[in-house]
Amino acid sequence: MDPVMTPTFFPSSADAREALDAFFESFGFTTDADLSRLSAWVLGTRGQEARDAVELARARMEDWLSGVLGAGLARGGALLSRGRAAFVLCEAARWGADVLTLGPGEVPPELTRALRAAVPVPAPRELPTVMPEQQLVLWPLGELFRRWWRAGEPDVSISR
Amino acid sequence: MHAHSFSPDTTGLRRGCVLGLAASSTLLGTWEMYWLLSDWGLTAPEVVMLGLFALCFAWISLSFWTAVAGFLELALGGRVPGLRWPDAKEEAAPLNGRTAVVMPIHNEDPASVFANVQATYESLAATGRLDCFDFYVLSDSTRAEAWVAEELAWADLCQRVGGQGRIFYRRRSDNTGKKAGNLADFCERWGRRYDFMVVLDADSIMAGETLVKMARLMELNPRAGILQAPPRCVGKTTLFARLQQFAGRVYGPVVAAGAAAWQLGESNYWGHNAILRVSAFTEHCGLPVLPGQQPFGGHILSHDFVEAALMRRAGYTVWLVPELDGSYEQSPPHLLAYAQRDRRWCQGNLQHLRLVLAGGLHPVSRAHFLMGVMSYVASPLWLLFLLAGLGAALHGRVVDLESSMLDSEGALWLMGVSMAMLLLPKVFGLVLALARREEAERMGGRVRLVLSALAEIGMSTLLAPVMMLFQSHFVFGTLLGYRVSWTSQQRDDEELPWAEAARRHAVHTLAGVVLTAVVLVSSPGLLAWLSPVVVGLLLSIPLSVWTARASLGTWARRHGLFLIPEESDAPPVLTRALELAQRPLAPVEDGLERVLTDPRAHALHLALLESLPGSGAMPLVLASARRKLLEGTPEPLSTQEKTAALLDAETLTQARSRYAVRFGT
Repeated sequence: MDPVMTPTFFPSSADAREALDAFFESFGFTTDADLSRLSAWVLGTRGQEARDAVELARARMEDWLSGVLGAGLARGGALLSRGRAAFVLCEAARWGADVLTLGPGEVPPELTRALRAAVPVPAPRELPTVMPEQQLVLWPLGELFRRWWRAGEPDVSISR
Repeated sequence: MHAHSFSPDTTGLRRGCVLGLAASSTLLGTWEMYWLLSDWGLTAPEVVMLGLFALCFAWISLSFWTAVAGFLELALGGRVPGLRWPDAKEEAAPLNGRTAVVMPIHNEDPASVFANVQATYESLAATGRLDCFDFYVLSDSTRAEAWVAEELAWADLCQRVGGQGRIFYRRRSDNTGKKAGNLADFCERWGRRYDFMVVLDADSIMAGETLVKMARLMELNPRAGILQAPPRCVGKTTLFARLQQFAGRVYGPVVAAGAAAWQLGESNYWGHNAILRVSAFTEHCGLPVLPGQQPFGGHILSHDFVEAALMRRAGYTVWLVPELDGSYEQSPPHLLAYAQRDRRWCQGNLQHLRLVLAGGLHPVSRAHFLMGVMSYVASPLWLLFLLAGLGAALHGRVVDLESSMLDSEGALWLMGVSMAMLLLPKVFGLVLALARREEAERMGGRVRLVLSALAEIGMSTLLAPVMMLFQSHFVFGTLLGYRVSWTSQQRDDEELPWAEAARRHAVHTLAGVVLTAVVLVSSPGLLAWLSPVVVGLLLSIPLSVWTARASLGTWARRHGLFLIPEESDAPPVLTRALELAQRPLAPVEDGLERVLTDPRAHALHLALLESLPGSGAMPLVLASARRKLLEGTPEPLSTQEKTAALLDAETLTQARSRYAVRFGT
């Protein structure tokens, strides 16, 4: 019997299923079969409230993504959103819901490669420093004069 | 301070020759003018005329002697002394430093921007030195459509070239300090990761070999702070742009070599197509905010000159390196776009007047500020000179002066010298191009090259009075306190409608009519002298429209006119950039709607928002946007509200669910 076609779970509410569907739709899954399979993958036979169900789905997806993407790409926060972007950009949903139920070592290497290559890395880790604003005395003679009169500040102030 | 400590031994001689000859020429010219005017004693308008003439003549003298220096430098095949160049062994060695290639952008066409980045990236990859470089597109785009389109184009580019982790994209939601602030933000966040930084403009393209050469020169010259590669204008099809490209290709090298020949390690930085030493730049080139209001106070608009001056003040040299080819940019497509760009630059350069006397700067840095000012102020000075001349002619002794001046050998000689000083630099460039057989062939052959140069001189003579009026307007406008909005530059080859040209040039045409009438009434003999000015003004509308036509530019190209080697035998990096720019890119009509309806745009936007958080949206605006988006208020969102929604991941996620339900996306 096809487990995808005949789900073996009974969510406590339709809301949970709806929330999970919305969550997985954002990864590009659209067919009812895929969405049912994924709900089953997240919840098993347990019933959950909608919010808990999504939290569980997030945790599952993060686990899966960190396994597939590897330590380098999984590092740096926002794993779920970066992973989801990669998933959508390389149209990984075409592989079907089953790939998510596979362990990291079992995911087809082509998909792993495509996912890793599609992870958006907008910038490397920051190494903060300060670019100090330079002091420019616009008219040094006037400045000398002002200082002589003890009246002045430099022409240009630090503005940041 | 280490003034002159990095300059070669010949510095004094070089500067003495160019500046000394310019000063002597100015004195001689002014003396001759004084004799011409003082035959019957000097009237008040004549005194003004003499002063204006001295200033204008000094400016063309300096340009002329700089061009002579450039001609000699190029004819003798010498390389500007002072920089250490790699030998064969050093050239083959791996690069040690890391370089960031940064492109600050602001509401530009993403197709063109990312085509330029990709072409440069691929050219660099072909050198085998890509490992030492990273690319950053630093967006300051304020339009949501540009922002979303940039994100999509960046993700596509990374996927196409496997540029993940090497091509980066960052958008600032706060545009403090404009381009200089954008670069400062980069330096403060990622600058420490790099030894050098190559700054590009949105229309810049650089060959990989050139990037490698620049990085190597920086490694070999540890006191060099900035190396400027003179960019060549390429890639446009309108007649105006092709004239600019041709002029830049034939005469530009003489000017650049001349400037490099006497400015040496105190050369200038033009803001793009240059490599900078990041640590020195970060430590010493943070721009101050000038006291007072715009146009002379506030943020420094033309940051490049000031950064060069600060870099030199800190003891690092700044070099213009004409030997670096493979550096390209694009010319504005027509006269009005050129003038629009000039308007921004004019205000920026005039602001530098406040910095001329600033403490601790190298004298040549001060000279750069003054030269930048003169490049715009020269126009109103020439205009005032012409008006003072007319005033003098109308001043009581009209007939006597006319007969004495027009028949005078001295007047003719002085005009001849002035014209020669203006035209000879072009002749130098032409002679050098003709002397290089291969290059001349690639420019349509020697006959067409000469014809093109003659046509270019004719056309630039006609356009000069219009530019003179434009620049005079900009200078006076700036002095009167008009503000300039620094919008992105028009870069597309768009034709100019007659109505627009008529609106913009009506004043110029009217000035031509009035000038003709005044001269005809007062002293008709002067009309021949003023004919280049009068004809240019009277024809300003048709000239502006016709030169904006790509059809005329293409026609000229088909006939081998104004041809540059980059057109007849394009380097691979340019061919590639052109090919990539022509790829269709799905337009983003509404940034917010695209993010809510397109799953790719949505997922990517959220990922970028969460990975690199910037400043959040204004709470009130966001609340209003949320109300409209999530509560189904049928009111359309304002631009500000759309931007606020695009900055808030939670709002986007919630709104996306609604859109997905509604549109089934």
